[in-house]
Amino acid sequence: MDRRRPALLAAVPLTAVLSTRVPLWRDVRVLKWVLQLVVVGLVVALVIWLYGNYVENTAEQNIPTDFGFLDNPANFQITGNELGANQPVRDALYQGLLNTLRISVAGIVAATILGTLVGIARLSSNWIVSKLATVYVEAVRNIPLALFVIAGLLVVVLGVFPTIQEAWNLAGLAIISNRGVAVPWFVGAGFGLLAIGAVAAVTAWLAARWRSSVSDRTGVPPRSGLWASGAFLVVFVIGWVAFGYEWTLPELDGRQTVGGIRIDPSFFALFFALVIYTASHIAEIVRGSIQAVPRGQGEAADAVALSGFQRMWYVILPQAFRIGIPPIGNQHLNLIKNSSLGAAIGYYDLTLVAQTTVGNGSPAVPVFALTMVLYICISLVTSLIVNYANRRSALVER
Amino acid sequence: MSATAHRSGALVWARRNLFRSPVDGVLSILFGALSLWLVYKTLSFVFVTGRWDVIRVNLRLMMIGRFPDAHVLRLAITVVVLAAWGGFLAGFIRARQIRSGHASDERVPLVARLGDVAARLWLPAVVVLLLLLLSSTAGPWIIVGIAIVAAIIGRLVGPFAGRPKLGPVGSGVVVAGLGAVPVALYFYVVTAVGFDDWGGFMLNLFLAVCSIVLCFPLGILLALGRRSTLPLVRVVCTTYIELVRGAPLFVLLLLANVALGFFVPNSLAPSTSTRAIIVFTLFTAAYMAEIVRGGLQSVPRGQIEAAKAVGLSPVRQMGYIVLPQALRNVIPAQNGQLISLFKDTTLAGIAMGLFELLNVAGAITAQPDFRGQGLIGETITFAALLFWTVAFTMSRESQRLEKRLGVGVR
Amino acid sequence: MRQTTRRALVPLVALALLGAACTTDDNDTTDGDTSPADTDAPEETTAPGETTAPDDTVEVVQGAESTLDAVIAADVVRCGTRDALPGFAVLTPEGDHVGFDSDFCRVIAAAVLGDAEKVEMVDLKTTDRFTALQSGEVDVLVRNTTWTASRDGGEGATFLTPTFYDSQGIMVGTDSGFTTITDLSGVIVCVAQGSTTEGNAADEATRLGLDWEVRAFESVELIQEAFIAGQCDAWSSDRSQLVSLRSEFPDGPEALTILPEVFAKAPLAPAVADGDTRWAQAVNWAVLATIQAEEFGIDSTNVDTFGDTADISIQRFLGLEADGDGGPAVFDPGLGLPTDFAFQVISQVGNYGEIFNEHLTLLGLERGLNSLWTDGGLLYSPPYR
Repeated sequence: MDRRRPALLAAVPLTAVLSTRVPLWRDVRVLKWVLQLVVVGLVVALVIWLYGNYVENTAEQNIPTDFGFLDNPANFQITGNELGANQPVRDALYQGLLNTLRISVAGIVAATILGTLVGIARLSSNWIVSKLATVYVEAVRNIPLALFVIAGLLVVVLGVFPTIQEAWNLAGLAIISNRGVAVPWFVGAGFGLLAIGAVAAVTAWLAARWRSSVSDRTGVPPRSGLWASGAFLVVFVIGWVAFGYEWTLPELDGRQTVGGIRIDPSFFALFFALVIYTASHIAEIVRGSIQAVPRGQGEAADAVALSGFQRMWYVILPQAFRIGIPPIGNQHLNLIKNSSLGAAIGYYDLTLVAQTTVGNGSPAVPVFALTMVLYICISLVTSLIVNYANRRSALVER
Repeated sequence: MSATAHRSGALVWARRNLFRSPVDGVLSILFGALSLWLVYKTLSFVFVTGRWDVIRVNLRLMMIGRFPDAHVLRLAITVVVLAAWGGFLAGFIRARQIRSGHASDERVPLVARLGDVAARLWLPAVVVLLLLLLSSTAGPWIIVGIAIVAAIIGRLVGPFAGRPKLGPVGSGVVVAGLGAVPVALYFYVVTAVGFDDWGGFMLNLFLAVCSIVLCFPLGILLALGRRSTLPLVRVVCTTYIELVRGAPLFVLLLLANVALGFFVPNSLAPSTSTRAIIVFTLFTAAYMAEIVRGGLQSVPRGQIEAAKAVGLSPVRQMGYIVLPQALRNVIPAQNGQLISLFKDTTLAGIAMGLFELLNVAGAITAQPDFRGQGLIGETITFAALLFWTVAFTMSRESQRLEKRLGVGVR
Repeated sequence: MRQTTRRALVPLVALALLGAACTTDDNDTTDGDTSPADTDAPEETTAPGETTAPDDTVEVVQGAESTLDAVIAADVVRCGTRDALPGFAVLTPEGDHVGFDSDFCRVIAAAVLGDAEKVEMVDLKTTDRFTALQSGEVDVLVRNTTWTASRDGGEGATFLTPTFYDSQGIMVGTDSGFTTITDLSGVIVCVAQGSTTEGNAADEATRLGLDWEVRAFESVELIQEAFIAGQCDAWSSDRSQLVSLRSEFPDGPEALTILPEVFAKAPLAPAVADGDTRWAQAVNWAVLATIQAEEFGIDSTNVDTFGDTADISIQRFLGLEADGDGGPAVFDPGLGLPTDFAFQVISQVGNYGEIFNEHLTLLGLERGLNSLWTDGGLLYSPPYR
């Protein structure tokens, strides 16, 4: 430093040279804060303007802006959901939420299973199977879901399913018609059954742990799957009998089905559309994940003489799923959000319930704001679960 | 070599691919039977039992909705000019690539080049041919013929604009000129026929293109904002992205349809199509932001450090070094998102009543001549074919682009 | 971890807000303390529309722009309607709307703007019609909409004089064997979403002690598809709608039978948004002019011959010079409409009887309650003076 300072300036102290103040308009720290304040200010101004317009417009017509509408009678029924026309709107929204969750859970399970099978099939060495899977994936992936949903209702349910007078009776276990599918159902408290199921699941887990510890000690094959399932069944049956639950089978009675529970036809249409569409996406992800597993793993499995199924089940798939959890979780999230399309075919999910209550007189903005909040909550909870699963399965690298 | 060798070649193939093991054999037979049945059903539906009159009669409605007859000429001119523009763009880009060394200058024989084009475009060509065969007037044939000629002329002219050395000013002029052509065509059509009278497949394409073009800058800004070191900007961007990503697009469209009138004074209230474009843009921008953020994270830190070392300003770092690599790396994800956007334009018909292709497919089955006959299967199949063709072509072109840019290859 | 905690906070905050919003209504009398939620409760538990209905008519905010001025300035009336109800509103392939309701849209345009063609028909879905009206997307809703108390109140609409007095009926397939409403037990009854027919059908089932499953569909086309496929046993709607849809049934009108019983009143009336008295009254008198014209015997064919009539009330009605207290003058009631609005309405569109006959008579609908009061019906126009 000293070499560069000219001799003339030797008399000037260093601090004087270095302490020139940067003007305010060029000071980076000031600019940063000004920019932030400007951005936030713009956003706040926009929100205030929008909200002001809203208050003004609704005040002109005396449309309520609070959540009092939740107590008004809903004035519509939801078939198969025990929502009477006189129950308040909040019950209707709750049923809508339950319906969304029902189709989401059913759809996610079915789509994941189907998608995994198709993804594995795409990599099969059997030419027909792999080509068929490829055609399925490429065909379905590029068609909008809305077409599947509408086709599901108008072509499958209304076209293929028979009328109630000619309903298909599957050995007394299911009665299929275009008014719905009646399946056997239990008589008794739903929550009680869930509690029994939870206890049985815990017992099964304990049994699996016990078996694996036995296996560690003595070396016998653990067969934890078998023991866990057995424990689950035993506890479940004991609970069922002890609490007096019963089955009812569906029967055809004129134009109705008596007994069991009848699943809405639009549920099937939506289920069919969502599963077929999402499975094609999951199949692509599974295929990519399997291909991303290092080839050495497959070759090592072959070297140890594992059968094809064992190779897939014990070596390839676990690693593939670790890679694939984030995108598959994303597809699950998409399925949950796509279930809102049920509104187009009359499935009373949250969106349709919201639309109907608005059409029946509830103020539009609070209803839809509430719906959006509920969907955002569902999405965030799901992504939390996916993130948790991702972290649990991630490789611990040093 | 000999006939027996050839025959056994097929048998060997069958044994290896179809009958490797007993289980394999059973699967082959089962799925083979299933495939044959599916093919039979499809062919019989398409050629025998399908009642395609409803499509033939309503083809115009399905493609351009209720576009007034008087102004269809403008649409035709737009198609021809767009074809020429596309050809010009292709030639121009190729010339620039040759110039910058990314492509070779060797004279590929015309036949090979034509073969290459045919391999790329055979699927859309077949579908266009199908549409022409279904149309009942000669107009579409003429338009398509002129458009092909215009595209060829544009392709031949393009390289002449791309060969000379263009400084920054020249490049800017050319880019602005190229960008101005679609915009001018848009205004040319919209001044004659307002947005709200557009319909059919044209409306789907237009909604998709508009939203794609508009969502890119917004998405990149949001991604940069989310990674910003300024806390307030980061909070605003993150909140926006998380909120928009959590809500279904269908609900957002319903909300826009229903609630926009409350939040905006009547004089400013946009038309339904504009609302759809706004919602699509805002929605896709949030997803784009996440994708671009992933891309930004994938650029090695060394690149930024090297850029700083060379003395580039932050803006130049971003613009010349980081963004090009980031965007290149996420082309697959981006393309997936854009195809999704194109497919989701059907939701605008369901949620907001826009007269786009799916809506038309439903509406024509309610016409007096066609109601109550269950023709919805035919119309939906036709709509599915159109969507599938465009989406499939988009994804194939994207794969080609990835290969050329070397995505995933260091 | 920070990201996940931040993400976890959002639903918690949202749930807290939700909980806060939902619980304010429940604290009625059991809570003796003056908790904040309690003091809010009295304001929120009264129905929102209640406190304003009596004051509505005098609540015209001075200086606020009425829709009437906006419509005159824009030179077009935006009329909310539908596109596929035969007789009431049908969108022809040429792009015109034809029907009873469409003609009343033209009546309003002829009255306010002097030209029946200065109307923009906006097709609305049943579930969207009131929000379109509330948000100002349409100026007036003429869409065979039933006038009910809750729609006047919380839904922010003001209903005007009914154009069609109707009631709700049930339609079944002729080969189903049902002949009377009490036969319908254990059936599926299909209705349109977002309409009064849903609630009415459920109420009627409860009243008669019948076991109905009421399914709602988004559009009449979907109901028709479901009906043909056998998913619906019966179809319930306003009787006029049933007659109209039966006439266009693909298998022919004979395939459907409308049961003789009717229930629930359903006066179909045009509606405007709340809070705009000038516009409401202008539209109301435009519609009433058609009824008054039929009472006077004036229709589109003979309206020109009344130029030299001696009847003072007809002179006032048609905006001709009438002898008044201060000498001959043209009568202007101060509604904001041109003085010859009735003349324009009759000559360009027609009187009530003409509109009815042109669109509804061929469907098989009779005047019935929709005749003039002089013929025993309910159509009665207040005097034009």
